[in-house]
Amino acid sequence: MRSDRFLGPLLSALSLGWLWLAYFYIPASSTPGEPGPRAFPIVLGCALLLLGLAITVSGFARRGEVAPPKAEAAAKASPLKRELRIVLGTFGLLILYAFLMEKTGFLVSTPIVLALTLAGLLRIRRWTFIALMSGGTTLVCWLVFVVVLRVPLPRGSLWWLI
Amino acid sequence: MDAMLSGLQMALTWHALLAVAVGSVVGVIFGAIPGLTFSMALALLLPFTFGMAATPAIALLMGIYIGGMTGGSVSAILIGIPGTPSAAATVFDGYPMALKGQASVALGGAVIASVFGGMFSLLVMMLLLEQLAGLAIKFGPVEIFALVLFGLSTICGLGERSMARGLVAGVLGLMLVIVGLDPIDGVARLTFGSVDLQQGVNLLVGMIGLFAVPQVISTFLDYGRVEAKSVGTDVRASLPSWRQLKQRLGLMLRCSAIGTAIGAIPGTGGPIAAFLAYDHARRFDPKPEGYGKGELSGVLAPESANNAVTGGTMIPLLSLGIPGDPATAVILGGMILHGLAPGPALFQTDLPAIYAIYIAIVISYIVTLVVQIWGIRWFVKVMSVPAHLMAVVIIVMCVLGSYAIRNSMFDVYLMAIMGLIGYLLQRLRIPVAPVVLGLVLGSTLENQYRTALILNEGSHQGFLDSKVAIGFFALTVLMIGMQLWSSHKKSSAVATA
Repeated sequence: MRSDRFLGPLLSALSLGWLWLAYFYIPASSTPGEPGPRAFPIVLGCALLLLGLAITVSGFARRGEVAPPKAEAAAKASPLKRELRIVLGTFGLLILYAFLMEKTGFLVSTPIVLALTLAGLLRIRRWTFIALMSGGTTLVCWLVFVVVLRVPLPRGSLWWLI
Repeated sequence: MDAMLSGLQMALTWHALLAVAVGSVVGVIFGAIPGLTFSMALALLLPFTFGMAATPAIALLMGIYIGGMTGGSVSAILIGIPGTPSAAATVFDGYPMALKGQASVALGGAVIASVFGGMFSLLVMMLLLEQLAGLAIKFGPVEIFALVLFGLSTICGLGERSMARGLVAGVLGLMLVIVGLDPIDGVARLTFGSVDLQQGVNLLVGMIGLFAVPQVISTFLDYGRVEAKSVGTDVRASLPSWRQLKQRLGLMLRCSAIGTAIGAIPGTGGPIAAFLAYDHARRFDPKPEGYGKGELSGVLAPESANNAVTGGTMIPLLSLGIPGDPATAVILGGMILHGLAPGPALFQTDLPAIYAIYIAIVISYIVTLVVQIWGIRWFVKVMSVPAHLMAVVIIVMCVLGSYAIRNSMFDVYLMAIMGLIGYLLQRLRIPVAPVVLGLVLGSTLENQYRTALILNEGSHQGFLDSKVAIGFFALTVLMIGMQLWSSHKKSSAVATA
């Protein structure tokens, strides 16, 4: 498979990095006869290295290209720029959500992130719908988690400023 | 007989009946919502039992345990996020069934298999409590290591198209477990000075990221390109037919036996049982290619096994006072608080209480069955929501779920990173299921191996002295051999064609 020629070396490099970290950053055993905290990570690093090498070899040994499976086919069908925008956008929104929730609390951060997802990522322009969806979801989640189930959600750490 | 009648009398008071019903409903809710586990519900409600009599208190705790174990399948099937770690294997076929418009069949099948597995394990527990307790206690670190290694051999079969890619995923899952404090020596491993990383990658946080976030991204990618549609087009609340269940009765029986046996071994638990049962179902099915695409057996097998664990864990708990998992540890605490000290003496001093617990389990399963069957018509409404809007709500659920597990915002960041990793793995055609299996089994595998070596003063002889361990090692080799043979046959067939 052609993709193996990329994946194999990538895994090999990853495993070498892992082995380096495990060897230099995890202490060896302090108990005689016990493998210690370093042994298992080293074994796993070696296993990944072997698998990486095996995939590399098989990638160069085989000829022809196998039909791409569903995930790859879907990705190929979608332009790379759009895919990058959505993947990085979703990841960025999750990080922003965590950051905002810590600073401003659940009730403020949730509608902001939902509105950004709907308007920014999905490019929906029906503002009433966005407001209702963002506000409604926030309210239902707050009722279920905080009021009914008594889960302590963050209240924010910036409120002392006002 | 007198003890049984006394137990019946204790369990059928309105206090006990109400407690078990409330417990079951609370358990189903906590099990169904990602991030809220039934262990959490047990710990939260334990203080409320202080003012209650012993039987209603234990009935409440048993109800939460059983309801929670069953409820985990709801979110696994509807939104592809397992409500509990035990429901992780249910996602593989449950969610594809929901996408095909068979959410209600999957949900109905899951609850029927759950009740079947639970009742089977209860029956086994009642009949063979002492004999099984004697056997289970013989499982030391060597035997548990061998069992978990056997469980890991299932990775070979989860690789879908490429066994090598499946193995890579399994190794990556095991690597994730390394990060954090080493449980034996207490030293930090690959935490780079971060205090938050010392707690390691939580299993549920990992699963939410790996399962849900790539799904959200795929839905967003489809939005606008594919005509806006709901996740499932058919949202009828139909149950699996009698014929479908009858055909899979043998499978449910075998998976229930697997669950009961695994549950009886302390330190194992529902996720291991569910994965072993799923692999058993796939391996012995004449049409294994249907698995992962929405096969009913792929839901029935893990659900009957993980619920059979509930009866299994009661075996060492009641007969020896050993809790098998965190949930039964809380139940043990509750029993001790109410003056019931589990162990051999309990059978002499409080036999009616044991019968009352058996009856509470039966009632809890009946309540859970009724609640879930009744709830299916409401649960499936979720499937009529357009997929992109569902994905937006799932983002909130992912964040709340990963935060609520340990009240840690670090877990939310970790979930986002796991989600990105999950998507990259999908793009590289590396399956996610073995990563999760590695996460589930990794710490047990390493800890039991190292504990066994400490107990044997550094010698591996102990691994060869145990007949049970040798049996599991042989099974592991056999399973890997069979998988290699089947892969070889498949590639030869492709080459010939």
